[in-house]
Amino acid sequence: MQAVILAGGEGQRVRPLTHSQPKVMIPVANRPILDYVIESVEKCGINDIIVVAGYRKEQVIRYLNDLDTGVSVVVQKKQLGVFDALRCAKDLIKGDFLLIPGDNYIDSESLSRLKAERNAMLTAEHPYPSNYGVVSVSGGMVKGISEKPALAESMTVSTGCFSLTPDIFNYPATCMIPDIITDMAKNGRPIRAVPANRWHDAIYAWDLLKMNRMALEMVKPSISGNVSKSASITGHVSIGIGTVISPYAVVSGDVVIGENSYIGPHTCIMPGTSIGSRVRVEPFTYVENSILMDDSSVGSHCRITDSVIAKGAKLGSNVAVEPSYSAVEVDGHFFKAFFGSVVGDNSTVAPFTVLKHCVIGNSSAVENGRIIEGFLPDGSIVK
Amino acid sequence: MCGIVGYVGERNAAPIIVEGLKCLEYRGYDSFGLAVADGTATDGGGKLTVVKKQGRISDAGSDVSLACGNIGIGHTRWATHGVPSDVNAHPHTDCTGDIAVVHNGIIENYAELKKTLIAEGHVFKSETDTEVIAHLLEKFRNAAAEKGLSGIEKVDFAVKNLMDTLEGSFALLILIRGFNGLIAIKRFSPLVLGIGDDELFASSDMTPILEHTQKILFLEDNDYAYLMPDGIRLFGYPSAKTVERDVKTVDWDVESAKKGGYEYFMEKEIFEQPAVFVNSFRQKIDDGAVSVLKKASSITVVACGSSYHAGLIFRYLMEKYCKIPVRVEIASEFLNFTTAKGTVVIAVTQSGETADTLAALRHAKANGCPVFAVTNVLGSSVTRIADYVLYTRAGPEISVAATKSFIAQCAVLLRIVSIIGKGIFEKELFEIYPVLEETLLFDPADASAVCKDAENIFYVGRGVYYPISLEGALKMKEITYIHAEGCAAGELKHGPFSLLTPKTPVVAVCTKDDAYPVMISNIKEMKARGAPVIAIGSGGDADLKEIADIFIPLPRSKNICEVISATIILQMIAYNTAVLLGRDVDKPRNLAKSVTVI
Repeated sequence: MQAVILAGGEGQRVRPLTHSQPKVMIPVANRPILDYVIESVEKCGINDIIVVAGYRKEQVIRYLNDLDTGVSVVVQKKQLGVFDALRCAKDLIKGDFLLIPGDNYIDSESLSRLKAERNAMLTAEHPYPSNYGVVSVSGGMVKGISEKPALAESMTVSTGCFSLTPDIFNYPATCMIPDIITDMAKNGRPIRAVPANRWHDAIYAWDLLKMNRMALEMVKPSISGNVSKSASITGHVSIGIGTVISPYAVVSGDVVIGENSYIGPHTCIMPGTSIGSRVRVEPFTYVENSILMDDSSVGSHCRITDSVIAKGAKLGSNVAVEPSYSAVEVDGHFFKAFFGSVVGDNSTVAPFTVLKHCVIGNSSAVENGRIIEGFLPDGSIVK
Repeated sequence: MCGIVGYVGERNAAPIIVEGLKCLEYRGYDSFGLAVADGTATDGGGKLTVVKKQGRISDAGSDVSLACGNIGIGHTRWATHGVPSDVNAHPHTDCTGDIAVVHNGIIENYAELKKTLIAEGHVFKSETDTEVIAHLLEKFRNAAAEKGLSGIEKVDFAVKNLMDTLEGSFALLILIRGFNGLIAIKRFSPLVLGIGDDELFASSDMTPILEHTQKILFLEDNDYAYLMPDGIRLFGYPSAKTVERDVKTVDWDVESAKKGGYEYFMEKEIFEQPAVFVNSFRQKIDDGAVSVLKKASSITVVACGSSYHAGLIFRYLMEKYCKIPVRVEIASEFLNFTTAKGTVVIAVTQSGETADTLAALRHAKANGCPVFAVTNVLGSSVTRIADYVLYTRAGPEISVAATKSFIAQCAVLLRIVSIIGKGIFEKELFEIYPVLEETLLFDPADASAVCKDAENIFYVGRGVYYPISLEGALKMKEITYIHAEGCAAGELKHGPFSLLTPKTPVVAVCTKDDAYPVMISNIKEMKARGAPVIAIGSGGDADLKEIADIFIPLPRSKNICEVISATIILQMIAYNTAVLLGRDVDKPRNLAKSVTVI
C-alpha cells in the first residue's frame, strides 16, 4: 500500500509562521509536523510514500532529502485544493492508497485501522467543528460532508485522512474532495467512518503550543552538549550537541533544546518549552510553555510564557509577556484564545517591551519599550 | 577528464557499471562504453564483450545492461584525443580482442608509442591515446610468454613494463581474457577502490561505490592493484612489493548525491548553502596550520574558475582587515611567475584534481613555499601534495556550475581571515544562518525575465563586490550561454561603457559600504546610457530602489553577511534564467565538472 502525504498548502491561518516555510515544516518539539506524519505512516507499515510539495517546495524537499528513508516527491505548481494535489501524484499511484494531510498530527494506530478498510475516512470529534469538513455519520457509514459550515450539524469532523482506490481519478479534475466523498456515499460506494485515536491540528499559530506539549511527551530524553555541573536538569529533557547550559540554569522537563544553542546562567527553562538550534537565552530569563525556533534570541531578565518566537526573531532584555484568555479577531470573526505572544521571523523587540496577547508579523521592529497588543502586520515598525 | 568504473564480484557486472557511470556523468558525457568478462568460465571461455556508444549513458537503451559476466569495466568519456564517436569511446582493445582498457588521463608519449606499435604490425582502430595501452599490454604479454612466464607472472611482467613505458597521467582499469579479475593502475589521475561483501569496486570517485559499500581504499600514485574475487592485491611501482593502504569508512550519504525532488542538482545545491557555509566556517583548523598562516609575510592563492573568484574575495578582505598582501593567480598562468620565500601558497580546488592547480602547487612547493589546499574531496590528489589541507564541507557537488562548493570555499577562506584578524568576523558569521535562509526566499522571476532576452549582460561592483560580479557573470554565461561580463564598476568608463545600450542589462551590486556613494553615481551614469539596471542592495535602501529598474533588497544584516547573500542572489538569477531558457542546467554544453587536463 502507498501513502500520499499532502504538504503543498501554505496554511495561511498559521501566519505569520508560514513566511519562510509551509505549515507542514513548522517545528513542534523541534521536528517539523510533517516528520510526525511520516513517522506514523511508516510505523503502520507503509514504506512507499509520496509527498506532494507546493508552497515553498524547496524547503520541504531539502528536509525530505535528509531523511533516512526515501520518499518520492511530486510538485503541485499552484495550490488548487486537495483533489488537485492528489492528482499530481496520480502517475505514481499503483493501487489502493492512503491520503493524509501533512500538517496534522495523527497516530499510527489510527492509520493502521484506516489501512484495513477500502474507501474509508478517519473522523474525529472537535469542539469547534466549523473549521473543518463536518461529517454526518449513520451506522458507521458516511452520509455526507459539509465543508466549513457556519452552523455545524454534529461535532464529528473529517481529519482529512482517507483510504482510497485509484478509481477516484475518474472524477473530473475540477471536483473537490468533500463533493466526491458525498457523491460516492450516495451512489452505492459506501465510505466507512473510522474514528481516530489521537489527532491534533493547529489551526492558528497559538494552537501550536498545545501540539508542542503533546509532542514533547514523546521526546526521548538525551543529554548532549556542554552542561554545567551546577545547572539543574530535571524531568524529561533532550539537549542537542554543541549546546551550552550555563551554571545555575534550571531546566525542568518536558523540554527539548536543539544544537549549538546557548542557555545563559540563572535562566529557568520550564515545562512545555521547545528551543531550536543556534538559539541564545541570556542570563536571568524565564521561559515557560513556549516555542523558540532556530536562530532566535531572548535577552536577559525576560519572562517569556505561552509564546511562539519564530526563526531569527530577537527579543531585547527585560521583555515581559503577559498571557491572557481574551478575544482575537480573525477574518472578521471574534473568538477567545489563550496565549501570550507570537513573534514572526526576523522581527526585533526592544528592551522593556510588554507583549500582551499580541501577534507581531515577520521582519517587524518594535523600536522602543512599550506595551504591544493585538496584531501587527509583516514589516511593521513601532517607534 | 573522464569517469571510470570497475566491478568484480558475484553479481552481473553490466547493470552495476551502467549505474556507476551515471553517477560519474558530471566528469564527461560525450560517449561511454563497457566491457565485461565471465570470470567463472574455464580457460578458453571468458571472452570479453565490449559495448560502446557515442552519447550520454543516461540516454542509453537497456541493451547496454544485457552483456553477461561478473567482471566489468566502464567509462564515460570527455574527448581529449579524437572526436566523440563510437570508435573513440572506451574501452579500447588490442588486436586480439582479449584485452580491454578504460583510461582517465593523458598519455603524453602516445604518438611515438603508436608509431612503434604500428611498425610492429599492430592495427589501430581509434584516434585515442588510450588504445596504445591495450596494444602495449598485448606486446608485453607476448614477450612474457616467450620468456616462458605464465599465469600471474605474465600479468606482473606486462604491468611492470607498461608502467615503465607510459608517460603522463592515467587511472586505468584493465580486463584480460583468462585473468579472473581486473587490474587497476593509478598515476596522477584519481582512482579509488571500494570493498564490499565478496565484491570489489573501482571508480574515479566515491559516488558510484557508495551505493554498495562505505569502505573506501584510496590508492596513491604509482599503486597498482589486482581486484580478484578473493580479494585485493596491492603493489607499489617500481618496487613491485606489496603495499598497505588504509581503508576508510566514508559516511557520505549516497542519497545526498541524488537530487530528491529538485528539478536540477544546481537548485538542490543552492538550497544547501546555509548549512554548507556554517559547517565550513565552524570547523576547527589545525594549530600548526594557523601558526604558519600567522607568520606569512604574504599569501598567494592559485585557483581556476569559481575558485579563483573565491580567492579574489579573500584578497579584498585579507588586505583590508589584516594588512597582509595577497596575490591571486590563475593556476594555468602561475608557472610564469616567481614566488618569494616566506609566501604561503593556497591552492583552492573543489575536486582536488584540477590539473592546472596541481601543477601550480607543485611549482610552489619546488620553490620552497609552505603550501595549503582548500578542497572538497577527501583523499584527492591535492591533499597529497599540500602541507596543510583545509576541507570545505560542501558534500558532493554534481552540477557542473559551482554553487555550494564556492560558498564553502568562501567560508573557509573567511575563516582564515577571521583567525588572522583576531576573530573579526566570528560573531557576524555565527549569525549568518537565518540571513542565508531569508536570502533563499528571493524570487528571481523579474530579474530573469529581463536577462533571458539579453545577448549581453554586464555585472558591476566595487571592492569585494567586484569578484562577486565576476562570479555572477560566470554563473550566467556558463549555464545560460548568454554572454556576461563582470567588471569593476570604475573600469566601465575605460571601455565597456561603449557597449551599453537599452538592450544590455546591468546587474549592479551596491550595498551600503564605503563604496556606496561612488557606486550610486556609477549606476546613474549607466542608467543615462539607457541600460536597464538590476540593482542588488541593502534591505530598505530607498534611494537605490528609486534609481534601479529592478531592486533586489538583501536581508538586513551585517556587511560581511551581505557579501554571501549577494552571491546567492546572483546564483539564483542565473539558475532561473537558464531554466526559463530551457538549458540543461546541470550539464552545460562543452563543460565538465573537474578539469583534469592542462
